[in-house]
Amino acid sequence: MSAVFKRGNAEVEANLTPMIDVTFLLIVFFVLVSRIVEVENVPMELPRPDQPETVRPGDEQRAVINVIPTGGGRASGYRLGSRTFPPGADGLETLADHLAGLYRANPGLRINLRADRATGYEWIEPVLAAVSSAAARVEVAAVVPRVNLVVITEE
Amino acid sequence: MASSAPATGPRRDPPGNATGAGLSTPVPPRGSGRRRRGRARMALNLTAMIDVVFLLLIYFMVATEFKLGEEIYRLDLPPRQPAAQLRDPFELDEEPLRIEVASTGYARGAYSLRIEGPYRQPASFEELFEFLRQRQITEHTVGGLFEPDHPMVIVPTRTTRWEHVIDVFNALARAHYTNVTFAKPR
Repeated sequence: MSAVFKRGNAEVEANLTPMIDVTFLLIVFFVLVSRIVEVENVPMELPRPDQPETVRPGDEQRAVINVIPTGGGRASGYRLGSRTFPPGADGLETLADHLAGLYRANPGLRINLRADRATGYEWIEPVLAAVSSAAARVEVAAVVPRVNLVVITEE
Repeated sequence: MASSAPATGPRRDPPGNATGAGLSTPVPPRGSGRRRRGRARMALNLTAMIDVVFLLLIYFMVATEFKLGEEIYRLDLPPRQPAAQLRDPFELDEEPLRIEVASTGYARGAYSLRIEGPYRQPASFEELFEFLRQRQITEHTVGGLFEPDHPMVIVPTRTTRWEHVIDVFNALARAHYTNVTFAKPR
């Protein structure tokens, strides 16, 4: 005896499984991407020069140093990847050591420097000095401290 | 054992039955133009998915339209090595052109510029660019003073806003000077 019984009208239902799959995939994608971007780029207002003579970032290996703004033209530290280095001699020395390690692993590394447009130069110049110092600590003659100054342009 | 029609199934009247009693889909009266025969067709309702796809499409179009792109200036810092290794002892010093920049307020246009030397001082970044372009030694300029690789030093104060430092760098980049460095803050 058949166990299938049909009563009344045939019910038409949309199969929502693929849509839920796609939605969850999108959620996972955006969560991951937003976290990566947040870690690499601290929110700030980058300089926006008039008639910029800039270039688009290439595919070269790079590390991003963010000068974390706190208002009033000051900075609270320097972010490289997921690590934050405090301002001051000790923090900058640690930053230079960390950069030297990156240079040893990849002598062609470029450093992207992101700083808020209102940040005072006294908070940014030590980063340039730390990059130069890190390159000098590496025993590879080919290391040239190359920095990319990041600005924003209207497309 | 012969099976008969299930007693619990939908009862189907023969076509043309005007009463429609017991039908799964009521039969429209004659002359209405709609007739359904046989089983009801199952179709996937794609409306919701199309809605979502269009929303995503609009989102990406809008986000792309107003996206501000990050671009870069390339800068090679001078390596920190002992001076004896860097310099040729027989090479004459090439005096760098030092450009001082200071912020005089919080506004974008609140800044001051000064070029070291007996030059007409620029009042704006555009004037600085014109000065740098006109004084460059090229095939097309007369009376140029500086080669494209002449050392140029940007000298900000401690409190100079980063955007003003970048504006000076941009003027040098627009004029195609290639040997640009930053000094320690004044």
